[in-house]
Amino acid sequence: MITHFLPINFSAIGAEHLALAISCYVIVFFTLFLLSLVFGILPKLHTRNLRKKMQKEGEQVNTLIAGKMVPGEVSAAIAMAISMYFEELHDQEASILTIKKEGKSYSPWNSKIYNVINFNRFQG
Amino acid sequence: MEGIIRFLENSGFANATPGHLLMILVGLLFIYLAIRYEYEPLLLIPIGFGILIGNTPFIEHAGMQLGLYEEGSIMNFFYMGLLKGIFPSLIFLCIGAMTDFSTLIANPKLILLGAAAQFGIFMTYIGAITLGFNNLESAAIGIIGAANGPTAIFLASKLAPHLMGSIIIAVYFYMALIPVIQPPIMRLLTTKEERIIKMSPPRAVSKYEKVLFPIVALLVTGFIAPASLSLLGMLFFGNLLKESTVTKRLADTAKNGLHDIVIIMLGVSVGATTQATTFLTPQSMYIFVLGAVAFMISTAGGVLFAKIMNLFLSKENKINPLIGAAGVSAMPESAHVVQREGLKSDPNNHLIVHAMAPNVAGMIGSAIAAGIIMGFLR
Repeated sequence: MITHFLPINFSAIGAEHLALAISCYVIVFFTLFLLSLVFGILPKLHTRNLRKKMQKEGEQVNTLIAGKMVPGEVSAAIAMAISMYFEELHDQEASILTIKKEGKSYSPWNSKIYNVINFNRFQG
Repeated sequence: MEGIIRFLENSGFANATPGHLLMILVGLLFIYLAIRYEYEPLLLIPIGFGILIGNTPFIEHAGMQLGLYEEGSIMNFFYMGLLKGIFPSLIFLCIGAMTDFSTLIANPKLILLGAAAQFGIFMTYIGAITLGFNNLESAAIGIIGAANGPTAIFLASKLAPHLMGSIIIAVYFYMALIPVIQPPIMRLLTTKEERIIKMSPPRAVSKYEKVLFPIVALLVTGFIAPASLSLLGMLFFGNLLKESTVTKRLADTAKNGLHDIVIIMLGVSVGATTQATTFLTPQSMYIFVLGAVAFMISTAGGVLFAKIMNLFLSKENKINPLIGAAGVSAMPESAHVVQREGLKSDPNNHLIVHAMAPNVAGMIGSAIAAGIIMGFLR
């Protein structure tokens, strides 16, 4: 059915094409696997170093480490709230212009009492 | 009199072809989708307007220096930003300055979902071969499966610049349609029980880990695929600006002003690459078909791999397979789709935090894939 619309030719697929696709995909997978491995190990090393440091200082290790960690739910809620706040700021504008009418503040410089037109009255 | 005739000959009315009019309609459709349905408006409006600019008819190569492909024109200047890979690199810098990799660092095994979702790239590459495209063209078309605009621009400009317009439009069009494409595949490949799996909340990530991530990730990925450095180098550089917290001004510029500037130039120039005379070919139609298939395969790849991972994970560490769909790097739209689908099955199950991990991993994975393909073919 599809071949009526598209000139599909399966015989065009050569061994070199399959080799390229498979090897590229394997390398992508391996690179990301390596990255996940590194970041799986890194926090453990960090925690171990933290433990050693605290043990040296004679502090209660478990309680302190636990105290330094924010629970996941809390961080998720904070992240969500911040993200929503910034989304609001982004390009969701209310498109309402607020032009407040400002009352003229009094100044002797624009007072009618001291207007030059009054000059005649004083003359009279 | 002669001047009037020349003026009329140069006018759009004298040079319009059905192709121009068709592309103008496509541009209007993009603008309509963006305004009416708010499908990726920050992208579709510049691209849609770029299509209108690129398809306003005029006499090409008449010495007026107007067209995108005419040397010396202002549009050609923008086009160089695409062709030389300047805009994709800058966009990656800005994305890096915006992205929080915490969820990924907290649960590194989710990186594998980002890798699994790159399956679409290589299947589409094979699909393009069967449709008669050559090796370089097929690889450039395959990258549509990454669902990442800058990566697609980068690879297409290096391997098949003549197909760049079609490839980029296909990527951005399908990215805008992620909320339509992904949910049926996600529902088809998962059971109700799988969709309601509640994942344990991610642990808190220290500043030390956040700062270390861009440096280590750059070295790991850069040593394996140096060709991806112009993308990943900028991505991780941007992220270090953010996470170091001592370069707040630079990070703010990258994620706000610079991002907006690059998006405007990139969007308009991408749209303008669709000049009817070069864009409307049977090849473009095949690319659009392959693009749709690529997005579907990538989504399916992520979801199915999450199910495979569940076979090896303990009950309390099970993954909700819906988040596998976020392995395509359309960020953050695919993570939002996962959140919405999760809520449909269980109104108390918020998956967005978990979905962000494969989402950002997908972005890294797509850039690595582009680098590796470049390494093989260039």
